[in-house]
Amino acid sequence: MSFRKKLLLLFASTVLICVVVISASVYSSIRGSFEQADRERAYAVAAQFRAEFERRAAEVERKVESVAASETVQHIALEMNRDGTGSGEYVGAALSLAAQQQLDFLELVDDRGTILSSAQWQAKFGYPESAVSASAGSDISAPPEAFLKHEELPDGPSLGLFAVRATRVAEKPLYVIGGQRLDQRFLSTLDIPTGTRVLLYQNLDTKWNPRTLLDLNGPAAGVDQIAPLVEKVRDTHREFQAVIHWTSDPADAEVFHAIPLIAALSAATSADDAKQPLMAVLLVGSSRRPLIELQRQIVSTALLVGGVGILAAVVASLWFAARVTRPVVSLADAARRVAAGDLGAKVDVESGDELGELAASFNRMTEDLVQQKERTLQAERVAAWRELARRLAHELKNPLFPLQVTVENLMRARQKSPEIFDEVFAEGTATLLAEINHLKTIVGRFSEFSKMPQPQPRPTQLNDVVGSVARVFHGQLANRPEDKKISLHTELADALPEISADSDLLHRALENLVLNAIDAMPEGGELTIRTGRIADCVELSVSDTGSGLTEDECGRLFTPYYTTKQYGTGLGLAIVQSIVSDHGGKISVESVKEKGTTFRIQLPCDFRAYSASLR
Amino acid sequence: MTATPASAATRPHYGGTLRVMMQSSPATLELPENAAPGDYWDIARTLSLVGDTLVTLDAQAKPHPALAVAWQSDPITRQCQFTLRRGVKFHDGSAASPAAIEQILAAIHPGWNVRASADSVIIECNKEDGKDSEKSMSSLLAELALPRNLLLKRDKNDSGKPIGTGPFLVAEWQPGKLLRLAANEESWAGRPFLDAIAIEFGKSLRDQAVALELDKADVIETAPQTATGAGSDRRAETFASLPIELLALVFPQSSKAQDPRLREALALAIDRKPIQSVLLKGAGELAASILPNWMTGYAALFPKQPDPQRARSLLADSRQPPLNPGSTLDLSAALNLSYDPRDPQAQLIAERIALNAREVGITLRVSLAGAEDIRLVRIALPSSDPETSIAQAARQLGLPQPAPGADSIDALYRAERSLLATNTVIPLFHLPVADTAGPRVREWNVNAGEWNEAGLPLADFWLADRRPDQGRSELPSNNAGPEAGSR
Repeated sequence: MSFRKKLLLLFASTVLICVVVISASVYSSIRGSFEQADRERAYAVAAQFRAEFERRAAEVERKVESVAASETVQHIALEMNRDGTGSGEYVGAALSLAAQQQLDFLELVDDRGTILSSAQWQAKFGYPESAVSASAGSDISAPPEAFLKHEELPDGPSLGLFAVRATRVAEKPLYVIGGQRLDQRFLSTLDIPTGTRVLLYQNLDTKWNPRTLLDLNGPAAGVDQIAPLVEKVRDTHREFQAVIHWTSDPADAEVFHAIPLIAALSAATSADDAKQPLMAVLLVGSSRRPLIELQRQIVSTALLVGGVGILAAVVASLWFAARVTRPVVSLADAARRVAAGDLGAKVDVESGDELGELAASFNRMTEDLVQQKERTLQAERVAAWRELARRLAHELKNPLFPLQVTVENLMRARQKSPEIFDEVFAEGTATLLAEINHLKTIVGRFSEFSKMPQPQPRPTQLNDVVGSVARVFHGQLANRPEDKKISLHTELADALPEISADSDLLHRALENLVLNAIDAMPEGGELTIRTGRIADCVELSVSDTGSGLTEDECGRLFTPYYTTKQYGTGLGLAIVQSIVSDHGGKISVESVKEKGTTFRIQLPCDFRAYSASLR
Repeated sequence: MTATPASAATRPHYGGTLRVMMQSSPATLELPENAAPGDYWDIARTLSLVGDTLVTLDAQAKPHPALAVAWQSDPITRQCQFTLRRGVKFHDGSAASPAAIEQILAAIHPGWNVRASADSVIIECNKEDGKDSEKSMSSLLAELALPRNLLLKRDKNDSGKPIGTGPFLVAEWQPGKLLRLAANEESWAGRPFLDAIAIEFGKSLRDQAVALELDKADVIETAPQTATGAGSDRRAETFASLPIELLALVFPQSSKAQDPRLREALALAIDRKPIQSVLLKGAGELAASILPNWMTGYAALFPKQPDPQRARSLLADSRQPPLNPGSTLDLSAALNLSYDPRDPQAQLIAERIALNAREVGITLRVSLAGAEDIRLVRIALPSSDPETSIAQAARQLGLPQPAPGADSIDALYRAERSLLATNTVIPLFHLPVADTAGPRVREWNVNAGEWNEAGLPLADFWLADRRPDQGRSELPSNNAGPEAGSR
């Protein structure tokens, strides 16, 4: 991955992480705020409920006191003390009194706790009233303050807020028990904030009964999911909170605070609460829709901001990375050019930062490299000339000495032994000619090396080249003495592909290798030529079983004019290497002392493609 | 009823219009079949002012002459011969001859064999009923005394207006609203004191009470409990008859309460005494039998006391699941108890019964809507003759007719036991019929509790003060005549 891409990725990741972190932080903060608001709203509604509850309780107490003080009740109390009310004269009295005071419940109860008149269930006269109970068989105890009570009605029990007051005009008191129904009408009087609703579960049954769960419109429908919450409150008489999911859409969920309502409104402690019968459960529900919608808005905004941020980051980082990496890219390009041999490559960076310093150092380095190369070339050139001079001196010195000796012999014979001059002259001229030929050969070799032609590639079957060379040398090798016999083997690969090569040059290179191998086995041996295919190349190897080479000799083997032979020019293998190199191939040597040497040539199958790639 | 001798201060006056109000609003002046008691009594008492029966019965079921002055039965021929009162004329001037009476009776009872003979009509008794002639005559007399056997002709030219031989004739008829009766100057019982009687129909008890208070009515109907209640208006007087109505629970054929144990449990759950003492304010009698005790004397043999424990036991054995204490009501499984909405006390009584039932675990829903499982009904016992009354009651209650021959007390008792054995009818109370008369009304000397088969004897009343438009003069005391107050 390029430096620019890394930089781009880094910028984008940074922006993305920042957006996510900020969004999560904002969401968490808002969620906390919402939950806090939910709680506060629930407590506010609960407080309002309690305030309304207490106001209603005071109102009920006032109304019941008013009824108890009414002339009708005073008259009934008087009649009760006088002769009892067994005739049922007042069975309808409670109904009219309740209507006057707008009470849902009103009962007149005698001193024995027996209902004389009931507004809510007129037929209930003569039945005992549980709100006032005889204690010790004589006195009646009645709660002084308003309280909650389940009241039996013809269509089932109902929850009411009650108060009891006694009217005493004589010895026997007459109790007035009045109340108001705690139902949807009561709930409708509450000022409920938007997004909040209030349910009232009337705990009329021994188990969960959905029909007694009321909302503002009456029995609430489809609320079975709320049953576990109510059951928890019923079991513990304590407040609980739960999230109720009505549908699969989380926005439809509501957070419900369940508040137990016990019989006595003034139960002081939670321990008292636990002993009191649970009359109802107030459920304050807050819709999670605003929270969820805000959450969705935050997520979508975060996605939008994140996307735009990432896009902006990409653009900015592209620009920035381009700006930052331009010197680096220039450096990299220059380095590549230097690696390719162009030591004149320069980095054009004008910044004064570390990259500028790096570029300047690079430029200095390339300049140093150029100078170093020139010095090296100069040194190599000098060395080559010295070597050439040495070789020339060496090559020329050897024939010159016999020439000098022969000429001196001829001169000495002419002066001192003219009688043998002719004989000496004949021998001397023969020697002179031989040495002159030798000199011509040496000059020819040098000339040939300097005139190495460029390869003319055409489809060539390597096996054919090997066969041609083998045929040339078979006859020559066959004339060697038996004790110095060299056997030539060829191991040619089947279906070897044609390569694009100059067959004449390959023929010449192979001849040089074979000659080298023959020279390496003066005492005879085996010479093996092999062909084969390796990937996109064909391989040609020439092995001998000669004395082998040292490692140092192997290293210097392809240096021009280097030879291990007494009369060698050191140009044979240099020519081979030049031909192989001109074909885009490579040559290597493996040698084991006293075992033999193997030269391996690898040539690309498509020399034209190789040539094109070079261009 | 016997009028008290008229002193100078209480000397009867002729003239005036008696203003009467009634709850019912009849569309026709015919005695309806299967009518509510109120409607039945209203039409019966109205028609009895216009027409007469051959005989009447007193509280002891003893027959008295009316249009027939004498009767006898022939045990051999099983014929009953009724000698008709002479000189009686219908309101249209035609004679109430044996032929005319025969024609009316034959129309009322197409199955009877009625013949006119000289000054009498002969009714042939059913030969197959197995009764002796004396019992047959007794049953026939009780039947003939029923209001449905009032001898009335119908005026085909005047929308079937009844024409009878009674003390009043129909002067104006506005169906369902008003009936104005004028005195029959040629009544065989003597010209009534009143010039007219104006009956307004369709007035609720409350409206009637207000009208009486405002002196816009002279005679109104009253709930039976008002008759015995304290605090009645001192200027008005209330009369209650003997208990001639039965308040009972009836299980229709379609009732969900098919298990007799459930019905018996309900019968045992009902505490009648508080209802009677409080809601009925002591009026009427507790009842566990169809016929009242004054009629049979054996009503005490039918237990009226509640037995909640046994009721619960029976309910536990029945197929009806008992109500779970502490649970809200499953009203879909409740038995629907309906009542007569025109009866002001019926709803409260029904609710009390539901409360009693709930005590033992039976869920009743008092409602007028939906299919009724139990009905709180009030029926009239139209005759002082127990055999006739139980037959009529059985018909109204949907019970099978008692077996013929239930004319002895023992047989009657067994028949009634049999009718009540399955508890498809649960008798609750026997109630009287009560009326209240304003201060203008005189001759208000009816013995409370005396049997009156067709309501108050309006024909014998006179008014203490006459309105200016009521032109007849006061009778001189010596001209009261033998007819005055002799009815």
